[in-house]
Amino acid sequence: MTTLIRLTTIALATWPLAVLAADLYVGTPADTSAWLHWFGRAAGLIGFAWFLLAMTLSVRLPRFDLALGGLLALWRVHHWLGAISFVLLMLHPPLLALASVSAGPQAVLATLVPPASTWAVWSGWAALLLMMVFQAPSFSFFGSPRYQRWKLLHRLSGAAMVLALVHALALPGLLKPVTAEWVWGSLTALAAAAFLWRLLLSRWLSRRQYRITRVNSLAPRVVELTLEGPPLRYDAGQFVYLTPLDPALPAGRGEEHPYSLVSAPQEPCLRIAIKELGDASSALMRVAEGSLATVEGPYGRFLPPQHDGAALWIGGGIGIAPFVSAARAFASQSGKVNVQLVYCANDPSRAYYLAELERIAASQPGFVVHPHYFAEQGPLTASFLEDCAADYRQRMCYICGPSALLNLAETILTGEGMPRRHIRMEEFNLL
Amino acid sequence: MKRFLFACFVAFWSSVVSIWGYAVLATDIAADSVTGMANQRFISAEELARHASSDDCWMAIEGVVYNFTAYLPQHPTPPVVMTDWCGKDATQQYRTKGYGRPHSPAADALLPQYQVGMLKNP
Repeated sequence: MTTLIRLTTIALATWPLAVLAADLYVGTPADTSAWLHWFGRAAGLIGFAWFLLAMTLSVRLPRFDLALGGLLALWRVHHWLGAISFVLLMLHPPLLALASVSAGPQAVLATLVPPASTWAVWSGWAALLLMMVFQAPSFSFFGSPRYQRWKLLHRLSGAAMVLALVHALALPGLLKPVTAEWVWGSLTALAAAAFLWRLLLSRWLSRRQYRITRVNSLAPRVVELTLEGPPLRYDAGQFVYLTPLDPALPAGRGEEHPYSLVSAPQEPCLRIAIKELGDASSALMRVAEGSLATVEGPYGRFLPPQHDGAALWIGGGIGIAPFVSAARAFASQSGKVNVQLVYCANDPSRAYYLAELERIAASQPGFVVHPHYFAEQGPLTASFLEDCAADYRQRMCYICGPSALLNLAETILTGEGMPRRHIRMEEFNLL
Repeated sequence: MKRFLFACFVAFWSSVVSIWGYAVLATDIAADSVTGMANQRFISAEELARHASSDDCWMAIEGVVYNFTAYLPQHPTPPVVMTDWCGKDATQQYRTKGYGRPHSPAADALLPQYQVGMLKNP
């Protein structure tokens, strides 16, 4: 299944290139103008195809993401496909207009601003303008957007898709009309299904209801929620989307946000660690015990299911969460582990899971915890890692935490000769 | 990536506005020259049929006769798509491109500069 999903994704991403190669094989453009025309149509073809693929990949079906490297990896692909298709679709009109310069200004004007009756061209323009509206916040054109506003604006992608489809079917470009109908029809059906799943169906079919039975304050601005409800099958290190329904919440009620699971997969309850980072997570610091919430997931593929291979974990701040989940999992199991955990915190008061992790380490000989305090020891260094585990360069390294820690740890590890493929990082950075 | 995309966004609007401005300013001059070229000579179907090769290609579209010899190499499709219609009335073909889709407004705007006369009614 995993191979099938990967191959399908690769096929969906590469078919426009085959079409372009076949078109060049049939007839090479004769002059500059014809080349510009060809590039303009090629930009439209690849741009729309990758736009539809980006939409399809945003489906966020629980466990579907595993085949493509986890949801965070999938988001990166979605983000890049969206960015490339945006650039290509912005190239589409100017290239076609430039291609008609040799035919005179009337042809240029007719390409850029055709008569109102030419609805297919205007449909393309409307799609591109809508795309600008919902892509602008994704790439922080006018400052960092609010998460909810960004999500709402992203719904315009559905309208942009319909308008672009009208344009592509009426002006098939490099595809034969019958081929265009099949290709754009089926790709749009996939993208529309993903869009409708996210917009309407997932909230009924994929979210499950839980009751928040405990709100445990771990430190100022950090809580651990315990949720009781239907059993959820997940691996340590995965995350879920939580939608709190407490009517007394001052913010974020009914809004879904991603949070890491800190419970062990075999526990009967779910436990979720939340740090105050915005309005919604801030409100959750005081969510009422007994209130309801929905959970959608699990997502992500950060840690391996077994921990017997030599590993170095580096966790900072709330980024310690996936490691807590994994440590809790092997605390109650007898399997062999070989893990060195570097727990980065500003000072001892912010190492809120340290005591529990040290208790687990005391009962698991292959698990060692090394606290590192920024306020006392400064930034993490290679010599600190050397003191923790002299063989750290030979270990698989998993890093989770704020972007500054990820960048620093990656620089240290690659600087020490560690291959990039031995480093896995997890960062919640949606924009 | 964000800076690059913003640069593309600015470049897009700059180029579209520049190209549009050029086209608007130049249209009057071009329109004058096209009007000057407008040739009301009537051409019979027999005379049209004598220009039926890729070296001398005339076609009638909507009652107007065009000399497309110079344009043939610029057409986006392989040449045979057009040369089959040299010397003939290609109105239907121009309207449908053979599969029910009309030519673009840009193509319509290309036509006047190739006009050589009007098709004489039989």
